[in-house]
Amino acid sequence: MLAAAVDGGSTVAVHPCVPVLEARDVTFGYAPGTPVLDRWSAAFPAGSATALTGPSGRGKSTLLYLLGLMLHPRSGEILVDGTPVAALRDAARARLRADLFGFVFQDAALDQTRTVLDNVTETALYRGASRPQAREAALGLLERFGVDVPPHRKPGQVSGGQAQRIALCRALLNAPRVLLADEPTGNLDPVTSELVVGALREHAATGAAVVIVTHSPDVAAACDREIRL
Amino acid sequence: MAAATAARSGTARGSPMRTFAAVVREAYASAKSQPVASALTMLMVAGMIVTVMLTTGRAVAAEQSVLSSIDSAGTRSIVVRADDGAGVTSDVLDRIAGVEGIEWAAAFSSAIDATNTLVPDGTRVPVRFAYGTSLDRLGIPSASPLPGALAYASHEALEKLGLPEAVGGITLTTGADFAVAGIITTPEFLASFEPVTLVPQPDATGDEVVNVVVVIAARPDLVSPVADATLSVLAADDPTKVTVQTSEALAQLRALIQGQLGSFSRGLVLVVLTITGTLVAIILYGLVMMRRRDFGRRRALGATRGLIIGLLLTQTALLAVGGAVLGTLIGTIGLAATGDPLPGLLFVMATGILAVATAIAAAIVPALTASRREPISELRVP
Repeated sequence: MLAAAVDGGSTVAVHPCVPVLEARDVTFGYAPGTPVLDRWSAAFPAGSATALTGPSGRGKSTLLYLLGLMLHPRSGEILVDGTPVAALRDAARARLRADLFGFVFQDAALDQTRTVLDNVTETALYRGASRPQAREAALGLLERFGVDVPPHRKPGQVSGGQAQRIALCRALLNAPRVLLADEPTGNLDPVTSELVVGALREHAATGAAVVIVTHSPDVAAACDREIRL
Repeated sequence: MAAATAARSGTARGSPMRTFAAVVREAYASAKSQPVASALTMLMVAGMIVTVMLTTGRAVAAEQSVLSSIDSAGTRSIVVRADDGAGVTSDVLDRIAGVEGIEWAAAFSSAIDATNTLVPDGTRVPVRFAYGTSLDRLGIPSASPLPGALAYASHEALEKLGLPEAVGGITLTTGADFAVAGIITTPEFLASFEPVTLVPQPDATGDEVVNVVVVIAARPDLVSPVADATLSVLAADDPTKVTVQTSEALAQLRALIQGQLGSFSRGLVLVVLTITGTLVAIILYGLVMMRRRDFGRRRALGATRGLIIGLLLTQTALLAVGGAVLGTLIGTIGLAATGDPLPGLLFVMATGILAVATAIAAAIVPALTASRREPISELRVP
């Protein structure tokens, strides 16, 4: 699958014991001599939900963006399905993100100028996926997560909870192998938080690796394991 | 496992055509969702087109009109006059046919007075025998039912002869009679012949003495060399009795006008293009800065830098095309309303293409900037 995503060619077999996502001896810092992460390693197997916790400033979000191939580690390696990907060219990493990854950001990060449906189907463009199929899948996800607003409404006209559900629908549209969430329940009421965490766990149960950065003990407790930074 | 994941994620990429269509659709949707910036970009391009059309376009139209007037056959004509005894005969046309750069040539005999056959004491008009194979340019049919026996006259000549309907006959002072078969429209280069009456001689032997040879050069700049070539093949017995009249001075004036107007037009277009390009770049750069979080999100969700550049350039191209169409309409209406000549389709199309190209070029730096937004710096919430 990874080979297919990188090369656009045929798929390769993946050993079931190989973690979907792995950080191996990763070192990263924004300024020389002050590493945020120093030779940090962890594996995220398929079917698991992992909570990344710890005080602010310890590099949780940075680690999430490293795992999401949006930052380059100074040293060490990020592996997807056992294949090193940190050194890939920018375009190849972007395609991997579009094909295999899903992201949920703390404040939903929706495009306020586009409709709810456009926001959910946004990643279809990056994957080169069929638009009608993406729209159909998006409508199904919006219904599943109880987004009871007309799909042609703009995100500015919906509540914060609804916006985060829309962001969740966007992240799940391509049924990602890796789902990364940065404080996904930070601004949500308990009911919506439960729904979001439940959805992330459900997605992990389908065989994906889910990584959640959180300050919430409840969210951490709902995950299969917790890694403190 | 791999097959399962492939099925789950449905990652088969679309064909290039589908991707292109998707990019155009997304660019259109993006443009629509930013009405103020889009309207500004369109207005910039439209304004550029209107400015160019109302200034350079007007100058170009005037230039075309002046040049077209200068380029008329009269400007390109070479009139060789051979006095009696010069020894120029109608076979000169065979030799002139071998000279390159000639559009048309004909030879004419000296004038012989004629009157209306029915009014022998009537007003006399000059009649000339005409030689050449392309006399149809004068309105004389190329095939004649009575070769050498029919005359064709201008309106002025017919009025003087009292034959306004071009029906009747004329009698030369030599006693020869000819039937008037039609009307000719006197071209500019034969204006000195008026009132003109011609008797075409399709069966000329080549020995007929001619007094006037008219040659039209294919282009104004060929007038001088064609005049020289014509003189060289004239084969006059007495060259001192030959004079040549050309419009070389007009050809030089044409080059001067074309050069000056062309230089002015190019300079003006360059200035307008630079101003428009800069303004479009500023608008798009501002747009990118305002929406940098959106570009960061797009990058995070899997948009390649190339795709983001393509999106912004396509969006700009769509807006520029819209602006170009709008500007062309306004410019055309403006020129028509003021009664000015229109600069021509080629000029309008070239201006439109140049405007779209300028807008796209102006969008390159903002597009590159947008493609380099780092997701972490745009999406992290402090």
